[in-house]
Amino acid sequence: MDALLSLMHGFEVLLTFDKMLLMLVGITLGILVGVLPGLGGPNGVAILLPLTFSMDPTSAIVMLSCLYWGALFGGAITSILFNIPGEAWSVATTFDGYPMAQKGQAAEALTAAFTASFVGSLFAVLLITFLAPSIAEFAIWFGPPEFFAVYLLTFCSFVGLGREAKHKIVISLIVGFLLAAVGMDTVSGQLRMTYGSVELLRGFDFLVAVIGLFGISEILLTMEDQLAFKGQKAVIRMRVVWETWKTLPRYWVTLLRSSIIGCWLGITPGGAIAASFMGYNLAKRFARDKEGFGQGRIDGVLAPETAAHAAGTSALLPMLALGIPGSGTAAVLLGGLMVWGLQPGPLLFTEHADFVWGLIASMYLGNIAGLIIVLATVPLFAAVLRVPFATIAPMIIVSCAVGAFAVQNAMFDIWLMLAFGVVGYVFKKLDYPLAPLVLALVLGDKAEDAFRQAMIGARGNMGVFWSNGLVGTITTLALLMLFWPVIMKLVGLVRGGRAPRTA
Amino acid sequence: MWSAELKRGAVAAIFAGGLCAAAPALAWEPTKPIEIIVPAGAGGATDQMARMIQAAVQKNNLLKVPTVVSLKGGASGGEGLMDMKASAGDPYKFIIAQSSIYTLPFSAKLPFSWKDMTPVAIIALDEFVLWVNSGAPYKTTAEFTAAAKKAGTETLRMGGTGSKREDQILTAAIEKATGAKFAYIPYKSGGEAATQLVGNHTEANVNNPSENVAQWRAGQVRALCLFDTARLPYDEKVTPDMAWKDIPTCKEVGLDIDYTMLRGIFLPGKVTPDQVAFYQDLFRKIAQTPEYKDYLKNQALKAAYIEGEAMTKFLQEDEARHKALMTEAGFIAAH
Amino acid sequence: MSADLHPSDAPDDRAVISRRTVDLSVSVLLFLIAMALAYDNWQVGIAWAPDGPEAGYFPFYLCMIMGVAALVGVARSLTDPGGQDGFVTRGQARRVMQVFVPTLIFVALIQVLGIYVASFILVSGFMIWLGKAPVWKALLTAAIFTAFMFYVFDVQFTVLMPKGPLEAAFGL
Repeated sequence: MDALLSLMHGFEVLLTFDKMLLMLVGITLGILVGVLPGLGGPNGVAILLPLTFSMDPTSAIVMLSCLYWGALFGGAITSILFNIPGEAWSVATTFDGYPMAQKGQAAEALTAAFTASFVGSLFAVLLITFLAPSIAEFAIWFGPPEFFAVYLLTFCSFVGLGREAKHKIVISLIVGFLLAAVGMDTVSGQLRMTYGSVELLRGFDFLVAVIGLFGISEILLTMEDQLAFKGQKAVIRMRVVWETWKTLPRYWVTLLRSSIIGCWLGITPGGAIAASFMGYNLAKRFARDKEGFGQGRIDGVLAPETAAHAAGTSALLPMLALGIPGSGTAAVLLGGLMVWGLQPGPLLFTEHADFVWGLIASMYLGNIAGLIIVLATVPLFAAVLRVPFATIAPMIIVSCAVGAFAVQNAMFDIWLMLAFGVVGYVFKKLDYPLAPLVLALVLGDKAEDAFRQAMIGARGNMGVFWSNGLVGTITTLALLMLFWPVIMKLVGLVRGGRAPRTA
Repeated sequence: MWSAELKRGAVAAIFAGGLCAAAPALAWEPTKPIEIIVPAGAGGATDQMARMIQAAVQKNNLLKVPTVVSLKGGASGGEGLMDMKASAGDPYKFIIAQSSIYTLPFSAKLPFSWKDMTPVAIIALDEFVLWVNSGAPYKTTAEFTAAAKKAGTETLRMGGTGSKREDQILTAAIEKATGAKFAYIPYKSGGEAATQLVGNHTEANVNNPSENVAQWRAGQVRALCLFDTARLPYDEKVTPDMAWKDIPTCKEVGLDIDYTMLRGIFLPGKVTPDQVAFYQDLFRKIAQTPEYKDYLKNQALKAAYIEGEAMTKFLQEDEARHKALMTEAGFIAAH
Repeated sequence: MSADLHPSDAPDDRAVISRRTVDLSVSVLLFLIAMALAYDNWQVGIAWAPDGPEAGYFPFYLCMIMGVAALVGVARSLTDPGGQDGFVTRGQARRVMQVFVPTLIFVALIQVLGIYVASFILVSGFMIWLGKAPVWKALLTAAIFTAFMFYVFDVQFTVLMPKGPLEAAFGL
């Protein structure tokens, strides 16, 4: 097989002592930037990019991509321990990961998250290895209508899942949309809702909002009850890893579903965020015990992590094959490629085979090495929860402030983070769900842009959302998701007519 | 066995940017990190230019202090411009500016003027090329404009970066020159516009050479004409049968439009002449590095180095020109 | 909310404010915000042009829906049977303020003293006043933590954090 031969060659390129060492350095630095808020993913890679200017391209990309895997692994740690997602796609991990940590299962949640990341990435790497050239084509089928349909599918798979009062879900969702709309409108070039303020010009950065809404508000809520974390009595033994692993095979459907969703959405730009939410929502939708989600279910951690990492990994494919970055980090890597004199695009695979296959081989080795390193640190990170609250709380506050500032280098963002902290506290106490707000904040303006671009392209004809098989299927799927509860009820009625169910 | 680059990497990791080199004594020298403001998103042309400057400075030891790239792409780069305006007197940051320094104040009423900043140098001019999908029936500019005019209600779709900016201004200029109408679709980046063209979601775009070169080399798009008064000088073959030099100017093929975009370096306002002199000296050196020369060639930028009085004059004329083009196209914000 | 589970007359468990009052105020506030934003978007343009909606179209109608949802919220909060419950008890409010006020001061201090000095003050102060930790331990922990942050962000990753007079004195 052609791909296998090339891959073997890739491993040959890679299996030298100093490249292996670079990989370890990259992964370790990656976990560090992943754990430090505000630095994760794109920022971390951008900051370390200058270190690699003097290396040869293969060494440089190996180190940077390992940094990327490390950051991906590391991002889950703060989500689970402190309810502070370091990346947009870690948000869905907090939904069940943090409750698990509060129940004293931090180690289990971390193990599940890391393993799920590994499974998702591995699935995507296999896909890249064997289907790279043919599947890259898939990305160019996506025009504005298709993008809109995907966002619609993400939103629709979400609606109707919440247990909160409907008007509160609606308000939360719309607040997210409106926050996303502040700033310049891409399609018209007009400024919206900025009220002449320079600070509002750049709009609301997702990370700033999330650090406040989740991180700061959580500290305030924790303080209400006592001066301690709820999960501090966690049992921390290395055996937990093994015991958690034993339970994982039973979730193979979730893992497989999330891997497929992740790969599919990762190849279409900007998909990792949508993937993590959709992975979570679908796991919830098809679970028998819907109520358990959000209270600390292990598959609530597995589903978003697997999907996000499958997406994060497969996002590199369109970058290499087409020169379109599938994620923020991929965009920075893309800039790096240019510095090293490599032209990403359809010819990269033939012109720089060493580079490409070295990179793909490093995805395998980097992920395996990364998994071993992070699993070894599970007890260490879980032990952080045992540090006295009065010591760790101010450090978390400082980290939140640093993170909020580092996103845009703006003092205003630290104030904004504080304001979001108060909003998050009040909303949580009044049972306003935060997840719809975050989802809309991340995807709202993208969905609006895609819709309006589609309208311009179709000269105002709504039929464009059913104009070909691809977009028609996704749109129909989205509507199906939206009305799923109604459909299930109808199915239930039909069945119920024949054999009445108990309870 | 530690290889040289590993050692370098490790050393760099320990003393990030700490290596020093002798530089000629000047009246002003930076003593802390310098921030490069990129008024655009990650991975775009401006970001790449910033990375190139970082690499050129680092490999040739042109600075004793590290450089830090800050992406301030909010509001089509308006965020970066306003940051420069607010940083008057701070010599520790410079911006890589492009034509948004004129277009944003006009189209979005951004309270900003390039006169709020201190011009250092224009280090290159970016070209624009009319691109179509290689599968499209029109092989020349004339066939394309004819097809656009005949399209009727099925207007051809023109992709571009952002709204009421260079790409849409150019599209409006083509509409005026030919009488054809286009449905202009604004995307977030030139890369997106390139992919959308390959996927046949648009019929044409007016991307910079660097934004479409990958697709061009792969034979997915066709270059029709270059919006400049003279052809590009690069005669190395990019595709199997064409070099940049082989793209005719639009004027040659009967579409009399020329438009280039500055890539300029500005300091914040109210900096001292010594500080300006330091940066002018720095960029003159950068312009001599192999990294910079390779960059121009790879990105098919037009070589240009303008500073001092000539730069001020260039900026004044360019601003007046943008005002005229944008007024005609109706892109000036009314209220 | 522990207050609901263990009703008691101890002063710490008495509610500062009722849930209904907060719910009602938030709903009214959201309604006002929705209307203010709707006005701004109406000015931007809310029509459906031949080639699709204008810039203010979606935000405007979203504001309208939010306004309606907020009115529903007002009605619900008035009829909510659980509305009499406390939003926070006095004890809870005091503990929340114990974190919130220092955080507020910390953010204000960042602007004056830079992030590192402010962090040192926050961590050591928090440990001494709330954690009842020995002063030397608190100062040492804060110093190590601040130095670590400085090393990672400023030295290693050259992220330009806000700085104050102390850093200026060292020429940073």
